[in-house]
Order: sequence, then C-alpha cells, then structure tokens
Amino acid sequence: MTATIVFQQAINGVVLGSLYVLVALGLTLIYGVLVQINFAHADFVTLGAFAAYFFMHLVAASYILSIGVAFLVGAALGWLINASIFTPLRHKGNELLPLIATIGVSVMMQNLMLAWFGPIPYAFETQYSGQVIRFAGIFVSWQNVIIIAVSSLTIALLYAFMKFTFLGKALRAVSQDRETAGLMGINPNRLIMLTFVIASALAGMGGAMLAPVLVLTPFAGTSVIVKAFAIVIIGGFGNVEGTILAGLIVGLIESFTTQFLDPGLIDIVVFALLLLMLAIRPTGLVSERREENV
Amino acid sequence: MIKVLRALFVGVAAIGLLATSPAAQAQDKTIKIGALFPMSGPGSYFGAQDKQGVELALEQLNKAGVNGYKFVVQYEDSSCGPLPATQAAKRLLEQFKPDVIIGEECSDATLAVMPVIEQAKVPLLNAGSSSIKVTEPGNPWTFRIMPNEVMQGVNLADNAYKRINARTAVLLFENTNAGIGNAQVFKENFTKQGGKVLAEIGFGRDVNDFTAIATRVAGLGQVDVIPTYTLEGQGLKITQALAQAGVTKGGGGNAIQIGTIWLPFGFEQKAGKAALGYIRIVQFDPTETRDLVRDFNAAFKAKYSADPTHLNAHAYDQIMLIADVVKRGGKDAQSIRDGLAATKNWPGVTGSVEFDKTNQNTKMDTVHYMETKPDMSWTSLKWN
Amino acid sequence: MSDPALAQPWSNRRTMLLSRWICYVIATLLIIVLPLIFNDTYWRTNLTICAINVLLAIGLDFILGYAGQLNLGHSAFYGLGAYVSTLLIVKLGVPFWMAFVCAIIFAGLAGIFLSLFAVRLRGHYLAIASLGFAVIVHQILLNWISLTQGPLGIYGIAPPPSLVIAGVVIADFRNLTAFFYLVSGFTFLSFLLLKQLVCSPIGGTLTAIREDEVSAASLGINAAAWKVFAFGVGAAVAGAAGCFYASFVGTLVPDAFFVSESFNILAMVIVGGMGTLVGPVFGAILLTLLPEVLRGIGDLRLVVYGAALTFVVLFMPGGLAQAARVVLARLGLGSHS
Repeated sequence: MTATIVFQQAINGVVLGSLYVLVALGLTLIYGVLVQINFAHADFVTLGAFAAYFFMHLVAASYILSIGVAFLVGAALGWLINASIFTPLRHKGNELLPLIATIGVSVMMQNLMLAWFGPIPYAFETQYSGQVIRFAGIFVSWQNVIIIAVSSLTIALLYAFMKFTFLGKALRAVSQDRETAGLMGINPNRLIMLTFVIASALAGMGGAMLAPVLVLTPFAGTSVIVKAFAIVIIGGFGNVEGTILAGLIVGLIESFTTQFLDPGLIDIVVFALLLLMLAIRPTGLVSERREENV
Repeated sequence: MIKVLRALFVGVAAIGLLATSPAAQAQDKTIKIGALFPMSGPGSYFGAQDKQGVELALEQLNKAGVNGYKFVVQYEDSSCGPLPATQAAKRLLEQFKPDVIIGEECSDATLAVMPVIEQAKVPLLNAGSSSIKVTEPGNPWTFRIMPNEVMQGVNLADNAYKRINARTAVLLFENTNAGIGNAQVFKENFTKQGGKVLAEIGFGRDVNDFTAIATRVAGLGQVDVIPTYTLEGQGLKITQALAQAGVTKGGGGNAIQIGTIWLPFGFEQKAGKAALGYIRIVQFDPTETRDLVRDFNAAFKAKYSADPTHLNAHAYDQIMLIADVVKRGGKDAQSIRDGLAATKNWPGVTGSVEFDKTNQNTKMDTVHYMETKPDMSWTSLKWN
Repeated sequence: MSDPALAQPWSNRRTMLLSRWICYVIATLLIIVLPLIFNDTYWRTNLTICAINVLLAIGLDFILGYAGQLNLGHSAFYGLGAYVSTLLIVKLGVPFWMAFVCAIIFAGLAGIFLSLFAVRLRGHYLAIASLGFAVIVHQILLNWISLTQGPLGIYGIAPPPSLVIAGVVIADFRNLTAFFYLVSGFTFLSFLLLKQLVCSPIGGTLTAIREDEVSAASLGINAAAWKVFAFGVGAAVAGAAGCFYASFVGTLVPDAFFVSESFNILAMVIVGGMGTLVGPVFGAILLTLLPEVLRGIGDLRLVVYGAALTFVVLFMPGGLAQAARVVLARLGLGSHS
C-alpha cells in the first residue's frame, strides 16, 4: 500500500465530502432556523441538475449560466414549498406533519421527474468534467476542484453573511428564539422564507455542479439524501461548522472503506457511526447549546 | 328515382358487407401475447425499449398476419421486483389469458413469475435475465433466447485468457443478482484456467463517484483485464474514473475493460476516449452485415429515428420467434410451447436460436464481441 | 393530534361498545366473503397483501400514533421478520410456526433496540436515527450474502404447512383463500389485541407520553419503559407481517425492505388517520388497492401516492378517520343528536 494511494484516497474523500456538504448545507440551514426537515431537499438538487442540463442543451451552452438557472429554480422551489407546506403547518405546532408532507412531495417530485425525463441516465459533460489535474502521481478532475472551490466560497460567504450583516444576525436571532426576535421588530416569517429560499437555491446550484459527477437520473437525489441527513446529525443539526466537518469525515470514511474493505459496507459504517453519535453525543460533533428535545 | 338508386346502393353495400364479414371474421384469429416488462421505477429503462421492439415487430407482422393469425400484445408493468411481477403476471393470466408471455428483464422478477406462469400452463419466453437459475433447474414452460451468465462468463474468461493473454483480473460489479452472478462465473472460469483475480469489488446502485474504486484498482499492481458488470449510468462513471486513474488504455494504462451486455450503442459517445479498447459482449451487433440485421436497423431507424439497442432487438426477436412458431402450426399455449421447444436454427437479429433440453438457447452466435476503436466506433471481433 | 376518546360521536358507552361489536361482526363477515366474491388469483393476491399491509400499519400506528414516537424504520422490523423466519426454515429446518414465533420475538427485540434511542431522543433526531437503523438493516441483508443470499435472493419459500387435525386436512395454505383467511385472521386478532391495549389504562399512559412527556413524568409515568413497550409490540407485529410476506410471495430479496417501504407504511398510517388504529386499517387497504386500480397510468400512480400523502397532511391531517367523523357528524350521527 503506497503512500500515493493513501494520499489519493484522502483527496478522493475530501472531494466526496464536499459533494455531500453541498447538499447537506441547505438542510442544516433550514433546520437551524425552522427546526424542520425538508425531505424533498435532495430532489431539489436533482431538479437543479436537470434544469442545468436542459438549459445547456436547449437554450445556451454556457455552464455558468446553467448554474445560475439551477440556482433560480431551487429558489423558486424553496419559496413554493415553504409557502404551501411549512407556513400553513407551522400554526398546528406539530413537528411531524411537515416532515411527512415533504416525504410526499419527495415521492411526487421523483416520479414526476421520472415521467418527464425518463429513467435513462443523462450524461452531463462540461468542459471541466473530462479534464484532470495531475501532480506527483495524484489526480483530481477539474470538475471536482470546482466543486470544492465553490463549496468553500459558498460557506465563507454564508459565514460572513450570518456574522456580519444585519439580515444574518436577524436570522440567528430567529433561530435562537423566534418570539423574542419578533419582539425585537424582526419579521420571523419573512426571514424564514428567506432562509428557505437561500437554502433551496443552494441546493439547486449544488445540483448543477454535481450533475457531471452524479449518475443523473430522477433518483440521483435519493442516493445522496440519506447520507446528507446522517451528516447533518453527526455534525449537529443547524450547525454549519459541524456539517462541514461531518461531511468531510463521511467522505473520508467512504473512500477509505472502499480502499480497505468493500464499497458495499460504506452505508453500514456511516450509519453505525450515526447511531453511535446519537447514542453518545446526540447534539453532534460541534454542538451549539440548544434547548432541544434531546 | 334518386331515392331508389340510393336504397339500391345501400342494399348492395349491405349485402356486400355481409358477404365479406364471415371471411373477415375468419381473418380475426389472434395470438395473444402477454408482455411483462418494467414500466415504472428505475427499471422502466428496459420496459420502454422492449415496447419499441415489440411494436415494430407487430407492425411488420400484422400487415399480412401469419397463417391467418394476427398478433395482439397486452403490456403489464412488473416493475423489476418479485411481488409486483407476480401481481402483474396474475393479472395478465386472469384477465387477458395470453397464449404466450414474454418477459421479464430482471432475474428476480423472472424467477418469481416462473412458477405462476408454469402453473397456468402458458409458455414464458425470456430474453433479459441472465441468472442461470432461470433455466438450469429445467422448467418445460420457460424458454430463454439470451445466453445465460454461465455461457457468457465461461466464454469471456476463455477469451480473456487465450486471446488477450490476460493473467490478472479485477472484478467490478453491481450488487445485484445479475452483477454478482456474472462476476462469480467469470472468477471461477478464469482461475480454473490459471488466471488470478486480484480483487472483487461490488458496489450498490446508489454509488455515484468511482474515483475511490478506481484508485484502489490502480494500487493493485499490474491488472490485465477488468471485467465490469453494471448498467449504463454507473458504467459510464467507472470507465471515466478508470481512465482518470490511469488504469485503462483510455487513460494511458494497460488494463482492458471487458464486460457484458448492458452498455448500449452510444456509450462510447458519452464516455469519450476513456472507453478506448473496451471489449465487451453485446447481445446485438448492429454492424452485422446479414440482411436480416440491416433490414431491422433500417426499419427501426425509420420508425423511431434512433439506432436500435439490444433491448429493442431482443423484444423484436421474441415476437418474431413466436410468429415463426405460429407459422409452424402453433396456435395456443400448448402448441406454442411445443413449437418453441422444437425450434431449430432459427435466425434472429440477435443470433440464432435453438433450445437445449433445459430450454436454454445454446447458440453461441448470440454472443458478439465488440471492441472500441480510437475513433469511438465499434468493431466486431468475430470471436464466435 | 386529536384525542380519539373525545372524538367519539356516541356519548353513551354502551352504544359505543355495541356499535363496535357490530363493526367487528361486519368485518368478520367481509373477511370470509371477500375472497369468495373475488375469485381470481389476482384479486385474492391483492386482498392478502392488503391484510399484510394492515398488520404493518396498525403496528406502526401503535408506535407513532399512540406513543408518539417518530419511527421511520418500520421496514427494518418487517424485513427482519421475513428473513429470520425464512432462514430458520430453509437453513435449519425449523418448523414453520416455531420460526414464526422466533421471527416475532426477534423483530420485537429489534424494536426494543431502536427504542433505546427513542428513550434518549425525540422528534427529528429519532426520525433520522430510525431511518439510519432501517438503512443499516437493509444493507446488512444485502451484503451478508453468505447468510441471507443478498441480492441473489431466496426462492421457492413454501407456504405454511397444511393444518391437519386427526388426519383431516382443515386448511391447505397453498390455496390462496385459505392463506388469506390465515393472514386476515391473525391481523384481526392483532387489531383486537392492540385495541384492547389502547382502550385500557395503558393507552392513556402512552398518549400522555405522546402529548407531553415532561408532564407525564411528573405523574410518575416511566416514559422510558413505556416507549420500550410500544416499540417492542409494534415491531413484533411487523415481524409477523414479514413472515407472512415471505411465505406468501415465495421469493425474498432485500430490496423489498428498502427504506422507501417505511414511507409507504407511514403513508398508510397518516392517510388513514394516525392515532385511531382503525384509520390505518383503511389507509392500508386504500393505499394497497389504489396503485393496482391505477395500474393503467404507469409512473403517474406513484405521483398520486405522493400527492395523497402531501394533501392529506395539509388539508386533513386526521386522515380518513377525520373525514369519516366529519361525514358522520354531518349526517347527524354526531354527539349533538
């Protein structure tokens, strides 16, 4: 087992992790502010990917533009789901019902996509997906580099937004204590909508970036979503740093399990870790003190 | 006057119609074919293409009929799983009462419906499932025109060892019945000849990124062949990842990917130069020069504006074989069954058909080898 | 969530009991008569699958609707029941009914294992934990090929052995009608048992935990112990369903117990009306038969499935049970008459 191979797998793990973080980030944002899980989140990613694909093939062959289109599609979906499901159900105070409703939305979306786009995988190639950077016996594809770069940039921007802008602080206020934030003159509903839109837009954009990497079928989302949930919990619900850390860990677990054991065992290892975390430290790797039902 | 003429005209027309309709009735004999294909869920990939092949065959046959018979097909969605498939089969048997059934694609589903259809004493003609269990136990009512996993695997291992001089292999396969089964057969036969299997790497259908797997393969030293058993979506990613890792010829390495039936024409265009040197068994060679194949290609392209895949070709052959059986006198479930069993050297677009005593088609010209050339075209290797 | 006791339209307890017994008699008659009316194998298969799904739904309702535990891992108990019983029979030659009991116990133990997480977690955490559990179980069934055959599948699973008393064959379970009676009989008895539990003080304890765990604790209720109980019972019921499934379909592959199956069962409970026990019965029947009836429209039937789930949650969260109550009230059978 050469050092090169180990190093390569480490890089593969980081790349995989960034992939998952891109999907999980939106989930954790939504949870942080809304304390709700959107089960259809990964389907937003899938739809974003398809939006980018069709844009590139039917309108204009610009990858950058197609990412923008996917961003907007995601935003629109986020607005729709929040307005039609989370807002009406919030008053009923039941934490279970919105989750179930989003399960229904997820099933609907997947099968609508299946009816529209068919089950045959689409090959989404961009000018970056075929090209590979090589140095010292290691290789990374340009597409993956872009994914890491954009993920990092997004996270950095998000961080800055949350910490330094008024809106960001307002968001954090709402997530900590909705009623008091309201008393402070912040309109929680608008902020919640904003969060949802941003998170879903990120999901859509993530889809466009992941499309060349994923096996693009209507079920592409399901291949990622359950692991994304695991990451969000391992990292700590609502916690951005935790999600990133957990995402990278899961990615590394995946590549090293593939190397030393068997790819078929990946899910078992990841979810065993999840259950272990829940048993020992349910608040996650990096926990924020939360008055929670834990 | 005009009224009288009109009445006369109607009268003559009516008599004419009455005179012809008994003959027309006699022309209305039909052979009912039940089609169990996955139409929903991830397997609908197969079902949609099967339907295309079937429709083309029906169009051609029903122009004149065969021996006075027309063919009618009823499709039922078996969703590639045992329970939906058995429900679809029962529905088909109860309500449509077919004389013969074609399907399914997935081995699990086929194995589940076989007993149900056998009990109803209707022949099942299969062209999609590779598991040896479909025919090996010997069911007089189940027929398979496609070469099974053993036929393909033995042949592939043989050719890998003898023609490409491969001595080491790494198996890559999806964790399904077909994937595991095929990989096992290759392994047994390759090692029996003296080859060495360096690793067996199975993966789930939800894996998107194969860089980690490709890296692992790269670290195994000299690999001569990489038998790959998976569907198009993941197959594409694997081929690209292996090239990126510098393992296969397409990426500057020496390993040759070899595989079987599931990658349709058009794979190379999607995979790009990563697919260079890929050798695989296909069930349908569109570059064949036989008139039968040429005509099929032309007719398919005219109807669907696309090149036919092996799925279309199999479905087409299934219907055409049934038509041949009808030509030889088959007219109901029992006689069709007997007719199928008696088939000798019947030429299909996928190869010839002749069944052995377990009703498996043993003709090796159904196993076509293709290699991907630098210009991304296929050449037939003519190994069979 | 609505309290089933308050929603009873009959104020007179005796009338309530009487009408309940009438319903049971009607149900029994229907069970006996249905396979005789629908006398083809296709519909009898559907009826049997309905019965199995009803069994799954009431088990989940017990955990989710009554104890308020957000369990998304029910498919795991189902799958474990199916595999444990089948492997015992096929590999160790254990007699069917003994394997059946073992499957129930094993599934129940798995439920108790999961309940340990429920004890510490609530809400979304439990939801994800249970989902993770279902994924792990499915992956183990898939990957441990030497034990379970994995995707290669187990074929030719025999139905339960014929019931023979004093040399006379009372029931041959290769006959679909007999099998249907067996499953629906068991399901009916399970329903009665669960109904008995929820109508007893135990039911009150569970709903107290569901509504407000902290207050319940202040009343001296040991929430942890009762959660374990609820999971154990619900899971055991699912294990029985798994055993029936295996011997009915005759073919066992891990993908039948993919996590999406948990969502299907959840949909049946929600659409039927969670926390009512009788609601999920109808939810299961509806959602089992609906895809069959909608067969003609192919992929779109699953869209309808998802839409049903979403719209029920949005507009009628009490499901069919709530709809039934509204209808009964309108018809003047409500408590105002």
